[in-house]
Amino acid sequence: MMIDRRLVQEVDWVLLGLVLLHSLIGVFFIYSSSNFLAGGYHVRQLVWIGASLIVLLLVLAVDYKFFVSLSVYFYGLTVALLAATLVFARFVAGTKSWITLGLLQFQPSEMAKIVMILVFARLFAEYKSAYLTTQHTLFALLLSGAPLILIILQPDLGTAMTFLAIIGGAFILAGLKRKAILLFLLAALVLGIGVWSVGLKDYQKKRVTTLVNPLHDPRGSGYQVIQSKIAIGAGGLSGKGFMKGSQSQLRFLPARHTDFIFSVIGEEVGFLGVLAVIVLYFFMLARMFLSVSKARDRAGVYIIFTASLLLAFQFLVNILMIIGLFPVVGITLPLISYGGSSLLTSYIACGLVLNVKMRRFANV
Amino acid sequence: MPEENIYEDLSLVRRRANTVFWVISGLIFLALSYYWKIQIVDHKKFSDLAEANRTRQRALAAPRGLISDRNGEVLADNRASFKVSLIRENIKDLEASLVAVGRLLEIDVETLRRRIGQYKDLQQFEPIVIKDGLSSVDVAPIESRRLEFPELVVDAEPQRFYPNGALAAHVLGYLQERTPEEIRAEPDRAAPAGEMVGKTGIERQYDDILRGEDGKVIEVVDSLGRVRSETERQNPVQGGKVVLTLDNRLQALAEESLQGREGVVVALDPRSGEILALASFPTFDPNRFITRFTPDEWTQLINDPLAPLENRSIRGLYAPGSIFKVVMGLGGLGFRYVTPGTTVYCSGSTEIYGAVRHCWFAPGHGSMDLADAIKNSCNIYFYTLGRRMGIDMIALAAGRMGLGKKTDVDLAGEKEGLVPSSEWKTRTLKTPWYPGETISIAIGQGQLQVTPLQIAALTALVANRGTRIRPQLFKSASAGAKARPAAADGAGAAAPAEPPFAPATFESVITGMWRSVNDGGTGNGAFVEGMDVCGKTGSTQVVSRESAERLSRAGREIKTHSWFSGFAPRDNPRIVVTVLVEYGGGGGATAAPVAGRIFKLFFGSPKEVQGR
Repeated sequence: MMIDRRLVQEVDWVLLGLVLLHSLIGVFFIYSSSNFLAGGYHVRQLVWIGASLIVLLLVLAVDYKFFVSLSVYFYGLTVALLAATLVFARFVAGTKSWITLGLLQFQPSEMAKIVMILVFARLFAEYKSAYLTTQHTLFALLLSGAPLILIILQPDLGTAMTFLAIIGGAFILAGLKRKAILLFLLAALVLGIGVWSVGLKDYQKKRVTTLVNPLHDPRGSGYQVIQSKIAIGAGGLSGKGFMKGSQSQLRFLPARHTDFIFSVIGEEVGFLGVLAVIVLYFFMLARMFLSVSKARDRAGVYIIFTASLLLAFQFLVNILMIIGLFPVVGITLPLISYGGSSLLTSYIACGLVLNVKMRRFANV
Repeated sequence: MPEENIYEDLSLVRRRANTVFWVISGLIFLALSYYWKIQIVDHKKFSDLAEANRTRQRALAAPRGLISDRNGEVLADNRASFKVSLIRENIKDLEASLVAVGRLLEIDVETLRRRIGQYKDLQQFEPIVIKDGLSSVDVAPIESRRLEFPELVVDAEPQRFYPNGALAAHVLGYLQERTPEEIRAEPDRAAPAGEMVGKTGIERQYDDILRGEDGKVIEVVDSLGRVRSETERQNPVQGGKVVLTLDNRLQALAEESLQGREGVVVALDPRSGEILALASFPTFDPNRFITRFTPDEWTQLINDPLAPLENRSIRGLYAPGSIFKVVMGLGGLGFRYVTPGTTVYCSGSTEIYGAVRHCWFAPGHGSMDLADAIKNSCNIYFYTLGRRMGIDMIALAAGRMGLGKKTDVDLAGEKEGLVPSSEWKTRTLKTPWYPGETISIAIGQGQLQVTPLQIAALTALVANRGTRIRPQLFKSASAGAKARPAAADGAGAAAPAEPPFAPATFESVITGMWRSVNDGGTGNGAFVEGMDVCGKTGSTQVVSRESAERLSRAGREIKTHSWFSGFAPRDNPRIVVTVLVEYGGGGGATAAPVAGRIFKLFFGSPKEVQGR
């Protein structure tokens, strides 16, 4: 595969810069919240950023059409891996989501997110009418339902919700009739009640009830939200200073460098820091979403949209979750939270957006 | 690629994508407004919560004030009690460590493992106490091998220590943790739960002075409770020192003189009421309350039929026996039933109210006046006097001499005793007084009940020729002491009241007491060359039903209690000594010699004292 010079010029360097900027902000606060732990998390994160950047560049090198055309095989492979995970993986923190291949550990559910982006692009690329027919809806549901159920079974509530968001987004884009929306809502309600009473583990139920009243269970799942709110609230306008937050430095805050990293930001650099990160993130998301106008075809629009939605949804849920406006479902702050799997997924998603954007004139 | 793709109309999907983006953006900025609320509006609240999270207060125990005798001899001290704890976090190889630590501290490995196992849920850095109550000598080998045992920490805490063991135990009292009921009763008292407070004796009476002020440290802790630093420290302040009126040497001799027999020795200064010695046997070691009893030891202690925890000097109730003849003599003279010259003839027995009564001396004492009747402890004289006075005048005299009421010594739990009267009997027993009973009372038997300290106070009253004193143990407190208790003010002067009888009334009685000791009377066992000891013996013949049961449980043969109470010198007396030996037999044979030894030591003839 040869990379055209014109293509390199078309890369959205601003977007790539924003992605790297967020990653670096993440590294700083990972350092602040974990430097007293053994393990050198900030260094590991830097290595992951490097590796993810390489993968992103590789993604750019290949025309997204090629990925879309392979999506059927990716899909088959992913479903197989998800099924294998359920069978072979050992429980880690109550879920079976990690699979070990030699020295590498990874989460097939992360890979599934990317694959679904491509699958939807492929599925809806040829679909040109304004609204989805029942037949198409059912087929798409069937296609996305298989990996979704496998993820729910792990059980990984956070990933399942992200997954649902992508599916929902794709359907919205393809055009849902009012009747279908009502039907979906009804089905979701029935499914929700069913899952609540049968499928959810106690700890998951607790997370939802904790949302209503965190003090209900201050030592258990409520603890995280209470400590997180204390950290953020104590930060005030300008924060306690980098590496000076008592909630994070004295370890009152759980999952400081992963799910709750934004609480560290809130505590140490205050509302001003929170505002800065949210505005920066908004600019990045805007630049991603609004690239749909640059996509040369329907598949490109779907890729840009679902990939952007992937980041936007996780970002939104995470910043709501840590202040107790959403159940604690284990959704990380994309690009900023520590963690290779999540970082790699985010970079690939951004890579796909850049890929579509830079190839808008590919055929000319 | 097919040509038509380029011209494909994507505006609809693009519009939808944009809509979704703006909806999400709206939600993101809504979330931002909630961050505003938490970080700006409610900042203070969360800031306080964060502060409360990170700090923890820990109390630093204050050492109690010292208690010393009048010469500065320390009776209650503090010493550092060391405890050794093990921190698992610092252990590389648990098994090897347990073996080494077990050998060092002489704990068997199984015990050690079980102890650690009990606390396995604690954080790894939390110290687990594996041995406590150690002395500095015990921990020296541990301190010297610090580097070899990074997992061991040694902490010191001040702990009450009574260097003389059981000496003056009943005066000093003992410490115990407050019971939940006591905490409920006095919720605002400054002692935190779990702290040792004075339960009896001086430790209880002057607890407010003796208890120091606990200090505190405010520590910064992390979420696991591990201490990171200290933000504030207030050092503990030791409690005030209390100086007692006791004389260490007299106290030691008093305890030794009881020779392991149940009984009481009281010595006090009649001029001030200062108690020089207050011994009660059997006794106990107050240190055991600090280092904790085993359950067996505790059960044994509180079920002991001889009740070693009881302070017999203020809580033991005894018939005064012939000692009461002093009261009879004073009443007879004071209320003018007899004069010093009035004589009564003793033939060894007499018939009163239709019953034949015997004197203890069968051949009879012949004709004698009051002084000789006291010297000889003649029953016939006092039977006669008792019949003349009647019970209510006897009760009046006894009341004036301080019997039937507390001496108000500064010890809690004092008993009043009992002086029966006709009014008392109709009130409590609903039966009239029989004149025959008066005859028993006249020689100190019947329902009469006194404490040894009452007898000592009574003797001081006689020695002072009618000037009352209040016995007391508190001499002074160090300047730093927080509050002077009301009871500690103005020694003997606190009990002025009018004298029970005119000073002259006392002289014949005192003459009798002098003769009793110095002129071949019943008290000659207390004789000390050149000291003009005056005293009266007594033997109580009545054994109450409870005492009899108590005795048989203790496996004792039933004998009479043995009394002696006296003072010296005859003029300007400086010391009163009262001795009671339970089941000691005749007062002259058992109690008087004990008193004699106290007098000898007090007047400085140590050689004779030691010849035992």
